[in-house]
Amino acid sequence: MTWWKLGAALAALVAIGTQDRTPIWSPDELEVFRTLSIDGLGPPPADPSNRVADDPAAAALGRALFSEARLSSNGRISCASCHRPENGFTDAVPTGHGVATGTRRTMPVAQAVYSPWQFWDGRADSLWAQALGPVENPLEHNFTRMEVARVLGTRYRGQYEQLFGPLPDLSDARRFPRRAAPAGDKHARNAWAGMAAADRHTIDRIYANFGKTIAAFERTLPVRPTRLDRYVAGVTGKGPPAPFAPAEAAGLKLFIGKGRCVSCHSGPMLSNQGFANTGVSERGGLPADSGRADGARKAIADPFNCKGAFSDAKGGGCDELEYLVVGDPRQVRAFKVPSLRGVARRAPYMHSGQLRSLEQVIDHYNRAPAAPRGTSELKPLHLTRRERAELVAFLRTLDDAEGAGHAR
Amino acid sequence: MIGFPTPAAYRSRPLRRSCLVSAILIPALAGAAACARPANLDLSLDRPTDHLLFRVQVASGSQPIPLSKVHQWSLHLAAADGRPVTGAAVGIDGGMPEHGHGLPTAPRAEPAGTPGDYVIKGMKFSMTGWWVLKLDVAAPDGRHDKITFNLVL
Repeated sequence: MTWWKLGAALAALVAIGTQDRTPIWSPDELEVFRTLSIDGLGPPPADPSNRVADDPAAAALGRALFSEARLSSNGRISCASCHRPENGFTDAVPTGHGVATGTRRTMPVAQAVYSPWQFWDGRADSLWAQALGPVENPLEHNFTRMEVARVLGTRYRGQYEQLFGPLPDLSDARRFPRRAAPAGDKHARNAWAGMAAADRHTIDRIYANFGKTIAAFERTLPVRPTRLDRYVAGVTGKGPPAPFAPAEAAGLKLFIGKGRCVSCHSGPMLSNQGFANTGVSERGGLPADSGRADGARKAIADPFNCKGAFSDAKGGGCDELEYLVVGDPRQVRAFKVPSLRGVARRAPYMHSGQLRSLEQVIDHYNRAPAAPRGTSELKPLHLTRRERAELVAFLRTLDDAEGAGHAR
Repeated sequence: MIGFPTPAAYRSRPLRRSCLVSAILIPALAGAAACARPANLDLSLDRPTDHLLFRVQVASGSQPIPLSKVHQWSLHLAAADGRPVTGAAVGIDGGMPEHGHGLPTAPRAEPAGTPGDYVIKGMKFSMTGWWVLKLDVAAPDGRHDKITFNLVL
């Protein structure tokens, strides 16, 4: 037998072996699949704190502002600089690059619409509160809310006033300094501290409205069906057959079984929208990061939260904030459970881009290393090399780039 | 979805001992402060408290119990003789023993307006699996007792 014949025979044996691993799904497994399907997603959850959340005019203004580079100290950074539409609304670097290099991995946007908590540590309780953070972060837009109000007045006055009423006259530089914010550089902080409380409130209100238009735009971003959605439709009789390769199907079985991935990566967004310490290492050179432990405290203190003066939620609708856990040591280094939709295109992974590839991610979960601080929830999975490869093959079926957007 | 009660009771104190023993004997688990689910979990939601001072009945206001959504539960508190206990302070804790994390929210119990009835607001479960719901009951007359319910979502 020549070498090529031997090779072909071996390949055939491997193929047969793999084929044999194609699972026949039980009713329970099919039920789990249905919970993962985009068909169960529905429209974005209502946001009572944002009265323009579903206003098309607000979404149109938000769309323009999302790509507005004037909203940065160097005139070159917009939301879209890191949340790149062509890249699943994220970038391809370990930590975001704004005016300088940030400390956390850029998160995707369309998936965030379905989460009650924003940022890796959940320090914002709405999309609009989230949008306000990066703009004043010295490493990201390095801008100030006063400057945002000026850009709105000079470039977007008509659209803004149609939604929120007249913008004030900001021409008096003594009342309204050029650059002022409660955080950021010393000059901006001093200028903010020197303003009258009523004027600060006026600027805060404009800043909150700015965030609400960004949120309205983000709520229009489609969550796209993946090969998994088509596969589930096929195997549950809701659509034409859309087979998985044997390795992909084996990976799906591991995802809901031995791999325990579905414990947290559940529901149509493949995330329980919670926070977990998974023992991810600290990234060298970055400040210590306590994750949700700090994020919960910040959310309570945030003047732009659901119960704050700039929220439109009156008489309830802030349950997540109302019953927020604060001060639980089990929150130390717990970070957001991200959606896995489109995950294959979002390397590197984890909250600071610590892991370069899906293979490294699966290897991390398989080994379940101890957490650098706090306590990891993971336990070793004892996956074989083939099983790890099958899980990666399955994760690649979650690519959301193909096909039309999910109807909103 | 909550399963049916099992005949063998599995109360809160044996539960804690089981976790502790696991953590000591199995170093891999000690770091995770986690313990495995016992085979005979008592899933009853209507039981006497640890020292038999009260009887507590709890029920989710939404069925099946929703995942990743804040919702309410009802609680009925009675003395051992069956008389309703009104005006008690009910502390709420819990979590997933197998994962070493607590409840994702901090629920609170409030009087519901009828004798012995309370509403627990802010309940949320973020994962499927075994959860414990720990109640710390302090009656107006100073009597105090605890109970741990098991839920499997």
